[in-house]
Amino acid sequence: MSSILFYILALVALLGAAGVILAKSPMGSVISLLGTFFALAVIYLLAGFQFLAAAQILVYAGAILVLFLFVIMLLNLGAMGSRFELSFAPLQGGRARFAGAIAVALALVGLIAAQRTTLAATSAPAADAQAIDGLEGLALELFGRYSLPFQAVSVLLLATMVAVIVLAKRQRAGEHGEQPR
Amino acid sequence: MGAFLEDLPLWVQWVAKVAIIFGGLVGTAALMSLAERKVSAWMQFRHGPNRVGPFGLLQPLADGIKFIFKEELIPAGANKFLFRLAPALAAIPSMMTIAVIPIGTIKVGEKEIPFSIAQLDLGIMYMLALGGLSVYGAILGGWASNSKYSLLGGLRASAQMISYELTLILSILVIVALSGSLDLNAIVTAQRENGLWNVFTPFGALAFVLFTIASFAETNRHPFDFAECEPELVGGFHTEYSAMRFALFFLGEYCAMTVMACLNTTLFFGGPSVPLWPEAPWFLGILAFLLKAGFFLFLFIWVRWTLPRFRFDQLMRLGWKVALPIALANLLVVGAWVAFTTPKSS
Repeated sequence: MSSILFYILALVALLGAAGVILAKSPMGSVISLLGTFFALAVIYLLAGFQFLAAAQILVYAGAILVLFLFVIMLLNLGAMGSRFELSFAPLQGGRARFAGAIAVALALVGLIAAQRTTLAATSAPAADAQAIDGLEGLALELFGRYSLPFQAVSVLLLATMVAVIVLAKRQRAGEHGEQPR
Repeated sequence: MGAFLEDLPLWVQWVAKVAIIFGGLVGTAALMSLAERKVSAWMQFRHGPNRVGPFGLLQPLADGIKFIFKEELIPAGANKFLFRLAPALAAIPSMMTIAVIPIGTIKVGEKEIPFSIAQLDLGIMYMLALGGLSVYGAILGGWASNSKYSLLGGLRASAQMISYELTLILSILVIVALSGSLDLNAIVTAQRENGLWNVFTPFGALAFVLFTIASFAETNRHPFDFAECEPELVGGFHTEYSAMRFALFFLGEYCAMTVMACLNTTLFFGGPSVPLWPEAPWFLGILAFLLKAGFFLFLFIWVRWTLPRFRFDQLMRLGWKVALPIALANLLVVGAWVAFTTPKSS
């Protein structure tokens, strides 16, 4: 039962991921991405990671994608028309083929690595799941062992925020005919 | 009777609970559309609908039949798929969030059955995750309609919901920190064991005020109903919708209000606990929960027909420059207080 569900969800996730690249309008890409996020969240649930699933929906579907939608609507990037259309233009051209080959090679390396580690670790998956998914265990790991990387990530986010503000301000100054400093 | 109920298989219990709670939610939403008109009539010294059934009680039914038989229009140039999807996206998440609200316990003989569809350890995460999705209905409906009023309504709705979601989450986190759990049942239990509802603690009271303000904005209710304010945007993001699809938006809004009222009751007013009588029988607990939630539903209507609407920039200033900093400071102080007062476990 759960393996059938997994294959259906995996198919939905993959189709959504393809849709992100192939959809003609940005709006279509966002909707496809939403489908992928949901399929991933349900796969997490199937594997027993409740917290990860809830966080996936809350952060990605509930916050980040809404911001994407917001930007697309504000900038009015290309009208969508009355139905979804696919465009295979992003897949053509030598550069795209080169990038695709590299991506497939990397994915293969990742898959082989995943296979090796999961084969080695099948003896104690339940305990690992508890350690990652139990809220207390997660908090202890995050604020204990990985405290420094965790805080470093927040600095990275702050830097991104500052950069965005600076870029946005420069553009606005240019619009009013002032010299950007 | 008691023995018969005890012997029923578990799935009968589940189906019955889902049917009762879900039906109750949709029924409440339908009755709210009547209550809105009745209360507004009462406040403005009018009669309100009183022709269909006794006291007009069958009015929601008549409205429902009307919505079903009306003609459905899809504007030219609209994206048909998204246009059809949006009302469902608006209604379904807010209906699903009722599942984790603990309405009380039912005692059958010796057994205690929790009267809620699901008892999740991550109940609040579940609510927030699904609640965050309700913005999609407004934003996609507004975009797919191919109309500038709808688009502006959708943009306003999404901006408003994103802004106030932060305050909402931060004020809920205060209660999470005080009770030490994301489980709504544990939050109710903590309030019962303390003998004090969260609203009567200093941090809880501040969080309650912020939560209530944010819940008004999250459900697009007066005085923050910019997504659909008639004088500026015709009907906002659902301008182009008619018949049952419009009714679904409506239903979603009223379901979201009902869930917010239930959540307010659970987080700040002890859920199903009866004031000053901890050993009250179980049915009084459920009655207490319904009365408390009913008061907050009344508050939604009361405010709508009493206060004037904000201006959009005022709404944003209130959200980002007043409510959010207060909520952050509140959470910081609560965090410090909890950290210094709880004894070290290890």
